[in-house]
Amino acid sequence: MLAPVEIDVATLRRMAALGGFAWTDAELESLRPTVERLLEMLERLEAVPIDELEPTTQYRVL
Amino acid sequence: MSELIWASMADLGRMIATKEASPVEVVRAHLDRIAALDAKLRAFITVCADAALQAARAAEADLMAGKVVGPLHGVPWAPKDLYSTKGIRTTGGSKILADSVPRADATVVARLGAAGAIVLGKLNMHEFAYGPEGLNAHYGDARNPWDPGAHRITGGSSSGSGAAVAAGLAPGSLGSDTGGSIRIPASLCGITGLKPTYGRVSRAGVLPLAWSMDHVGPMTRTARDCALILHAIAGYDPADPTTSVLPVPDYTKALTGDMTGLRVGLLRAHFTDVAAADVRAAVEAAAKQLERAGAIVDEVNLAQVIHVAAASSAIVASEALAYHAAWMRSRAQDYQPDVRERLRVGAFVSGTHYLRAQQVRALVSREVDEALAKRDVLLAPATPIPATILGERQTTLGDGKSDVRSALIRLTRPFNFSGHPACAAPCGFTGSGLPIGLQIVGRPFDEATVLRVVDAYQRLTDWHTRRPPSA
Repeated sequence: MLAPVEIDVATLRRMAALGGFAWTDAELESLRPTVERLLEMLERLEAVPIDELEPTTQYRVL
Repeated sequence: MSELIWASMADLGRMIATKEASPVEVVRAHLDRIAALDAKLRAFITVCADAALQAARAAEADLMAGKVVGPLHGVPWAPKDLYSTKGIRTTGGSKILADSVPRADATVVARLGAAGAIVLGKLNMHEFAYGPEGLNAHYGDARNPWDPGAHRITGGSSSGSGAAVAAGLAPGSLGSDTGGSIRIPASLCGITGLKPTYGRVSRAGVLPLAWSMDHVGPMTRTARDCALILHAIAGYDPADPTTSVLPVPDYTKALTGDMTGLRVGLLRAHFTDVAAADVRAAVEAAAKQLERAGAIVDEVNLAQVIHVAAASSAIVASEALAYHAAWMRSRAQDYQPDVRERLRVGAFVSGTHYLRAQQVRALVSREVDEALAKRDVLLAPATPIPATILGERQTTLGDGKSDVRSALIRLTRPFNFSGHPACAAPCGFTGSGLPIGLQIVGRPFDEATVLRVVDAYQRLTDWHTRRPPSA
């Protein structure tokens, strides 16, 4: 079981700014629980044994 | 009149070809129906009455002169409002594109036009297709025709398509499906919706939500009509480099009604077992029915789908924000709140997260392929719950509480992730009269077998012929 991901508004602000987005602290605060949940879920993917698999988008196109 | 409203596209095409009905009569009957019911259902964003009647008169003249182009000649339909339509505004259900008028048709709209089909108008949707409830703050929420009070969602994002086809406002539609947006409204509105294999149908001229997860496909009242539309729209398109060069079969030839020896895997854990009790019972009954018709049914589990929610969220959030980035910098206030919030999440997914998610995608696709190596199709509910009341946020599934949004996409999204073809079709009703949908999943590019199974099931049952109370 991984520890819950915690992220503060200042970090969110810096990450958003890297993408060119200037969102208010109130907007970022309301987003924070959703981002924390997603990052926690994504951290769990690190435990999936898939290192030998190449990333794919849609490999079926023939 | 009622005969024209409820006829399938296949029957309308036959009636028109044999001069039993005229395209003008058929189009007028649907326009009258839209005028009578759409204020309540909010299925349409734009109705093209004059253009549709003009096209119907032209089709009639062609037919009288003996120029028949095919089984959809003179048959009306309506696309979700994210398909480019030449000279007709294409809003994506948004304020941002409220006045956007394309100069060319999307490839699939052009292909249906060449097949003689007539556009009635453009259908409502969750803004920019980013939500499975079918909510729209700009044009109003489409309403589920199965709820006499019209207080329930249609499901989305192809909400107008679900409402219009179920209520007889249009005999068929094209929806789009990134996490279930064809199959969810099909399930909640009691119609038939096919998400083809990724690469089977061109996405050129269709507003994207997430390029690698988006699929284009038909929403109709029967498997046969899905087959007719798919045949008209499928195939390689130089304007969409992800389309396949595999030949397009005549899908109607696969509709034999014969289930003998067909191997069907009932998806248990994470699918049927998490559905609400009446949904689970209806899907299990459908499996029994297929077995009685000669299918060999067994049970199968897909263990890796537990990773789909995280991985597909990372992919969709990243790709969606990439498409919307410029507007999100300059016009964020013009998005409806839920869509704006979902788009913002994409800013916090890293490149390594995205690629890890794509690795998981390979893992899940491989597992679905392995399940289908021993079976012709897989069977599951399309949605674990029936239509919820507008504004309802929480629901209960077989494995606990869930927010409605996650519940709606839970059983459909794995096959956007893997790219396999999947079709939703009605398989019963709840005690309160709401439709229940099953889902048939097939091998890549084997839409013919998927449609064969749904068609065979529809020959054995009458769920798809039931009409909503508002009808």
